[in-house]
Amino acid sequence: MSMTALVPQKKGRLHKDVKWWYYLIAILLVLVFLLPIYVLCNLSFRTIQDLGSKLQLPYILNLGNYITAFQDKSLWRGFGNSILLAGETVILEILISALGAYGLARSSNRIAEGIRTFNMAIMMIPGTALLVGTYSLMVNFGMANTIWGLALLSAAGGIPGTMFMYVNFVASIPKALDEAAMIDGAGIMRTFLQIIMPQLKAVTVTRVIMSATGSWNNYLMPMYLLQNKSKHTVILVIKAAFNTGNGIGNLPLACATCVLGLLPIIILYIFLQRYIIEGQIDSSVK
Amino acid sequence: MAARRRKYIYIAIPAVLLVLAFILFPLINAVKLSLYKWNGYSQSMRFIGADNYVKAFSDKFFWSSLGNTLIYGFGSTLLQNLGGLAAALFLNKKFVGRNALRAILYMPIMISPFLMGQIMYYFVQYEGGVFNELLGVLGMNPVYWMESGLSSTIMITLINSWQYMGLCMIIYLAGLQNIPEMYREAARLDGAGKFAEFRKVTVPLLIPSITTAVVTNLIGGLKLYDVIVALSNGGPNRQSMSLAFYIQVLYFNDESAGYASAIGILTFLMILIITLPINALLRRREVEY
Repeated sequence: MSMTALVPQKKGRLHKDVKWWYYLIAILLVLVFLLPIYVLCNLSFRTIQDLGSKLQLPYILNLGNYITAFQDKSLWRGFGNSILLAGETVILEILISALGAYGLARSSNRIAEGIRTFNMAIMMIPGTALLVGTYSLMVNFGMANTIWGLALLSAAGGIPGTMFMYVNFVASIPKALDEAAMIDGAGIMRTFLQIIMPQLKAVTVTRVIMSATGSWNNYLMPMYLLQNKSKHTVILVIKAAFNTGNGIGNLPLACATCVLGLLPIIILYIFLQRYIIEGQIDSSVK
Repeated sequence: MAARRRKYIYIAIPAVLLVLAFILFPLINAVKLSLYKWNGYSQSMRFIGADNYVKAFSDKFFWSSLGNTLIYGFGSTLLQNLGGLAAALFLNKKFVGRNALRAILYMPIMISPFLMGQIMYYFVQYEGGVFNELLGVLGMNPVYWMESGLSSTIMITLINSWQYMGLCMIIYLAGLQNIPEMYREAARLDGAGKFAEFRKVTVPLLIPSITTAVVTNLIGGLKLYDVIVALSNGGPNRQSMSLAFYIQVLYFNDESAGYASAIGILTFLMILIITLPINALLRRREVEY
C-alpha cells in the first residue's frame, strides 16, 4: 500500500476522484460564512413594512434606506472620528513601538523573551478588568471624550505586541548597518528613520493594518469614553441605528447604515487580504 | 561605542512610559480600588480590606459568570481549534479557488465582534429569526435559541467560534506548510496509513502552532465581552454574563466600582492561572526539527 501511494499515476487518479466533494465542501463553507453578510444586505433593501422572510429577496427593492443613511450627518461624523482615531492610534503605536524595539534590541540581546512574556501578561488583562482604573485615569487627566486620549490608550494597549514583533525583526538587521551610518555621522534617530525603518517595511504594513482595524472595530472603550455624541465612532453610530430602546426601530435603515459602515473594512480587506493573512501568519509563527 | 550603546535605551522611554501610564497604573489603581467600598463617582470611599474579595465567594452572579466564562473560553478554544485544523487540512489540498475560500473563511475576523453579534441577533431571534426560518424550511418547529442562560451561553460560544475560526485556520495552515514533505514521505515509506501519518508526524510537528492557537483563543474566549452585549446583553436575568460583562454591569449599573475592581482582578488572576500552565505544558511538548 505504501509503495503504490508513491506511484505518480495512481496519485493523480486519486486526486481526480476526490475532487467533486472538495467543491461541495467549499460551496457549503462559502454559504455558511457569507450568509450573515447576505442577510444584512438583503434586509438593507427592505421597506420598513416588509417583515417577511429574511432569506428570500424583498418584494420591493428599496434603495431609500441607503439614500437616508447617506444623508445622515452622524454617519459621516462617525467615519471622520473613526478615521481620526485609527490614524492617531496607528501613528503612535507604530512609531513608538518601532523606536522602542530598536532601542531595546540594540542594547541587549535577551530582551525579546522578556517582552514576549510581558506581552502575554498584558494580553491576559481583560479590558473590562481595568475599566474602573482606566476610566478614572481618563477622566482625571481630561482625556474622556477626546479622540486623542482614546488613541493614546489604544496605542498603549497595542505597544507590547507590536514591539515584540519589531524586536524580532530588528534583531535580524546586521549591526554593521548601524555602525556604517554612525561612521558617516548619523545620530541614533537619523539611523532609525533612514536605515532601520525602511528595512522593516513588510512588518510595518501588517502591523498598520492590524492596529487600524483593531481601533476601528473597538467597541468597549469608545462606548464608555466617547459619550459625547459628536465624538461617536462608526461602530457607535451603527449601534445607535440598531437601537430600538425608544420604541421606534427601523431595521432596514439600520442594516443599510451597517453595510455602509462595514464597507471601508471590507474594501480594505479585499485589496489587502494577502498582506493581512501573511501578517497574521507572521505574528503567530514568530 | 559603549556610550552610544547606552543611549539606545533612551529611545525606548516613550514606549515604557505609555505602558506604565495606561496599563500598569490602571492595574495598580484597580488593585487599590478593589479594597474600597466606592460607588464610582462620589467623594466618599471607605477602606474595607479584602471584603470585596470575600463577597465574591458568596455572590451567585460571580459563580454563574465564572461558569459561563469557562464555557466561553474552553468551548470557543475547542471548537475553533477543531474547526480551524479541519479547515486548514482541507485548504492544504490543491483545488481551484483555494485562496478565495481561505480569504472568505478569514473575513469575519475583520468585522467588529459587536457588529457581528448585532447581525447574528437576527439569526437567533425566535420570531422571524434566520435559524428558525431554516428549521421551518426543513419542516421543524421553531426553537427558543436564547431561552435560558445556558442556551444563550452555548449560542454565543458557537457564534464567537464561527467568527474567529479563521484565525486558527491560518495558524494551522502556516504550520502545515512548514512541515517538510520528506517527513511525511518517510512515514509513508515505513508503511504508515493516513491516520498514523497524521497522528505521528503531522500533530507532533504542529505543536508550536497548537500552542499559539490554543493560548490566543483561550485568552480571547475568557475575555469575551462585545458579542455578548449584542446577542443577549447578559440575559435572560443576567444568566449569560461573562466575568468581563459582569464587571461592566457592576461598575455602570450597580454602582459598585470597588467590587467591580475586585472581580476584575479575580478575572485577570483566573486567566493567568488557566493560561500559564497550558502554555508551559504545550511549550514543553514542542519538538525541534
